[in-house]
Amino acid sequence: MTETTQNSVGTGSSTHQELLAFLDAKTGRTLDASSDLFASGISSLFALQLVVHLEEKYGVTVGGADLKMDNFRTVDAMVALIGRLRGATG
Amino acid sequence: MTADRADDLRTLWSELVADHAADWDLAGAIPPDVVRKLAEAGALCPEVAAEYGGPGLDAHAAGRLAAHAGSLCSSARSLMTSQGMVAWMITRWGDRRQRELFLPALAGGATAAVAFSEPHAGSDLSAMRTTLEVHGDEAVIDGEKVWITGAAYADWILVFCRHQSGTAAVIVPSDAPGLEIEPVPHPLGCRAGGHAMVRMADVVVPADHVLPGAGDPFGLQIQSALAYGRLSIAWGCLGIIRSCLSAAAAYAVKREQFGAPIAKHQLVAGRLGDMYAAEQIVTRLCEHAAACWRDSSPDLVTAVFTAKHVGAIQANAVAASAVQILASAGAHDGGVVARAYRDAKLMEIIEGSTEMGRLHLAEKALAVWA
Repeated sequence: MTETTQNSVGTGSSTHQELLAFLDAKTGRTLDASSDLFASGISSLFALQLVVHLEEKYGVTVGGADLKMDNFRTVDAMVALIGRLRGATG
Repeated sequence: MTADRADDLRTLWSELVADHAADWDLAGAIPPDVVRKLAEAGALCPEVAAEYGGPGLDAHAAGRLAAHAGSLCSSARSLMTSQGMVAWMITRWGDRRQRELFLPALAGGATAAVAFSEPHAGSDLSAMRTTLEVHGDEAVIDGEKVWITGAAYADWILVFCRHQSGTAAVIVPSDAPGLEIEPVPHPLGCRAGGHAMVRMADVVVPADHVLPGAGDPFGLQIQSALAYGRLSIAWGCLGIIRSCLSAAAAYAVKREQFGAPIAKHQLVAGRLGDMYAAEQIVTRLCEHAAACWRDSSPDLVTAVFTAKHVGAIQANAVAASAVQILASAGAHDGGVVARAYRDAKLMEIIEGSTEMGRLHLAEKALAVWA
């Protein structure tokens, strides 16, 4: 199911580009869509910043049930989460 | 309409605190009926939306109210920070049923505190040992929390716990069997803030008192609560600064030494100038952080941390100057500048110490400027 969402957006989507640019700007790290964010040791403060960004930029609400490591591990995973949350509200 | 509501709450704060802050400081307690009146008016969590019976103030209006409260009495303002945090957490992370159950109560007379710190977990909240276990319809909490602001007045305590491989937040009634509240004796500052140790032994609450997201692997809910708390404290620090400016300026034009008001002496004037600048700086930082909050800007995390960090440091500097200017006239417990001096120091400790603030800002410095 996750895969379908990812494929429909595509790994080179504007969402991917935007998120990578955001991560680059905020962390000073250049990542790619499948880089493991936690392997580079992101802080809980940055996680909050990231969630606020997803909510503001993509008009979604990340609820408690979505607070899972796997939803934020990579840019791919976050794009899938956004797709799923948009589907749920729209 | 919201502006009227903000004015009404400001007036209520002024009337209820009046000139009692010194007595409350000396007694180490605020009369329960005062706390109840503030709670009943929604004055302790002014952002709660009108649909839940709250005042529905925006981030700026609520912040200005916290600054006003902070200028009158930091102990009472700290209750506002705690209750506001609980209301924010339920608004942000609670499910519909929790919002409908708790928000009208919090905006209509109930009181609440937040429990983070433990004997072995202060700046390092990952060392928390309090546990939450869910068995069917019941949630069981075990652990010990320290220095919980407002716990002595609270009907409910939002307790952060370890759960599975992450953290969880659960709303615990303060009269639950197995829960024991022991006031902190003689705190340095915010002496009437109702700080207490909270011990929980097999405390059972309904499982639906647990906020969704239990097991949060990022500590995101903790950071979300702290972000609210830091913004509120930043405004509270602004209140401390304003109360000191007001007391010091009034005294400096009245008190004469060497044949002139002391405000005319350059060493005193220099302090007043620095105090004025501090008030301006902290006002702008609070306003910026409130704008980030309103706009859901991802920069809010850093903006809030910056406002709290600078606000607390400046409140300390300003309070020290105010005591110095009032000298013997200010050096007595309960008095406005003596309270400010002690209360401001706590602001450098709670909701992220000055050290933690500097570390976070250093990370930002490297991310942005390296």
